Amino acid sequence: MNFNDWQEQQDITKFLFNEARLLDEHRWDEWLRLFTPDGLYWVPLVHGQTDYLNHASLFCEDALLRSMRARRLEQARAYSQQPPTRTVHVLGNISLESRTEAGCVVRSTFHLVEWRKTEQRAFGGSVLHTLRREGAEWRIEMKRVELVNCDAPHEALQVFM
Amino acid sequence: MTIDLQALVQPDRVHKRVYTDPAIFELEMDRVFGQAWLYVGHESQVPNIGDYFTTRLGREPVVMVRHTDGAVNVLYNRCPHKGAKIVPDGSGSAGKFLRCLYHGWTFKCDGSLLSVPLRSGYEDTALDLKAQQHSVRKVARVASHRGFVFASLAEEGLELVEFLGGVATSLDNFCDRAPDGEVEVAGGVQRVIQRNNWKIFFENLHDTIHAVATHESSWRAAKEEFESMPAGTPKPFEVVIVDGNGEPLEFWEKLELKGYDHGHGFMEGIFVPPTDPVSLAYVAALQAKQGEARADQILRVNRHNTIVYPSCSPHTSFQQIRVIRPLSVDRTLVEIFSFRLKGAPEATFQRTLKYTNIVNSPSSNVMPDDLEAYNRVQEGLASDGGDWVSMHRGMGRDQPLPGGRSSNGNSEMPPRNMFAAWASYMGVQTGAAE
Repeated sequence: MNFNDWQEQQDITKFLFNEARLLDEHRWDEWLRLFTPDGLYWVPLVHGQTDYLNHASLFCEDALLRSMRARRLEQARAYSQQPPTRTVHVLGNISLESRTEAGCVVRSTFHLVEWRKTEQRAFGGSVLHTLRREGAEWRIEMKRVELVNCDAPHEALQVFM
Repeated sequence: MTIDLQALVQPDRVHKRVYTDPAIFELEMDRVFGQAWLYVGHESQVPNIGDYFTTRLGREPVVMVRHTDGAVNVLYNRCPHKGAKIVPDGSGSAGKFLRCLYHGWTFKCDGSLLSVPLRSGYEDTALDLKAQQHSVRKVARVASHRGFVFASLAEEGLELVEFLGGVATSLDNFCDRAPDGEVEVAGGVQRVIQRNNWKIFFENLHDTIHAVATHESSWRAAKEEFESMPAGTPKPFEVVIVDGNGEPLEFWEKLELKGYDHGHGFMEGIFVPPTDPVSLAYVAALQAKQGEARADQILRVNRHNTIVYPSCSPHTSFQQIRVIRPLSVDRTLVEIFSFRLKGAPEATFQRTLKYTNIVNSPSSNVMPDDLEAYNRVQEGLASDGGDWVSMHRGMGRDQPLPGGRSSNGNSEMPPRNMFAAWASYMGVQTGAAE
């Protein structure tokens, strides 16, 4: 499936780049506002997972849980954020997966480098953004992060991917 | 160089080396994990003939597999020919027999040798294919309690039910809470890597007074979240299970802790049985199957984490079992299994998974501060800033119980109780927990 034109592709690419930048700059509140009220941030635990209600996930967060995480990261006594996690996202392969009534589903690939305390970790995978058009803005209905190593043992995953 | 273990454990304190010395870790693998009953898995993980599930018992890679006679066997995952692990790590179905990838030796699901290629090549050699040593070795002892499979690497020792003692009731209640009286593993397994000695994790399970300090970031975030909701909003489950850690020390002090022989124990439940629609529907399902009196009896058993030393921690009211697998002296793997209560509404299981996702998973908001504390303990213990770790709080005030002891919630009876067991496995005396 193709973007309608270069303008649309540019528009969505910019949105994704901005979203990644908000995360890398710890601008949690702005990031939270990108979601629709019933939007979901989801990182499946296993490959090809279709169900987040009857199967455990790495992250499965509605507005309440996303907000709780953001608030925790900013607490003065978040000991596991001494020092804070630093990240950088590199995005690529942005393509249109499908169109929906109110927007579209966009697939991209990402490389995420995370550093805290002593060691650097690398994550990689694909992201499916289900986007909804609201006036001139895009909103996220679902961000599904498909990690290459989702089913590996992990040390604490504190920040949004 | 021999280690004077006797000099390292005392009734009310332990020497830092028990957490930091790789040689002691190896001795633990031989003596603690080599003797105790260890949790392997649940029978529901291998429902059909040929189904297998791999894990490690101490240092030993093993496979739990269901044989054609219906029995669940636990075998060393090692081919008797060249030593290759026969089944790959994870779970799956081997079919009717196990076949080694390396030279195609095949075995029945009880480990007995079925066939070897080029059998004639062994004629007139010293290798007798009929001898037992060419079958896959079985783990010394296997026993099951309500579907929970345990194994011991030692030929001799207590029966499983004697070993479990007072915490057998936690495994019973785990299953009794299912309207049909049975549970099954479901919903996937989460795995968390910790940079600390395995004992630090166990000791924290019944450490009530760390919660308000260590977990301030998450309980405060949860409280703030709830305060920002419109007045009169019922407190969401997501908030309840996180903000509970913010209770004052007096709250924790009132809880009863029980410690049993061999290091086991449990903490009284910290959550009041909820009255929301999901909980009420579950209670109704339990009452419909078991009758009101029996249901009430089952639900009265309200416990937070149970310790089955040294391998797992069941949580009876949220249907989780955390399996603790020491990797090295300063690295530990914790695996979180969720269970479905057979006969309960689907929403009950979905709530179990919420607890898994929010509290126990690698992305938990609660656990990172635990892991940070464990890791700072591990790193701090390596220093010359001191030699001993204190377990003095409440010493001398334990109340005796049949097969154990109880204390108030703020006592350090649980670590003292665990070290009494540890010392006994390691072959030294602490002068017992009390």
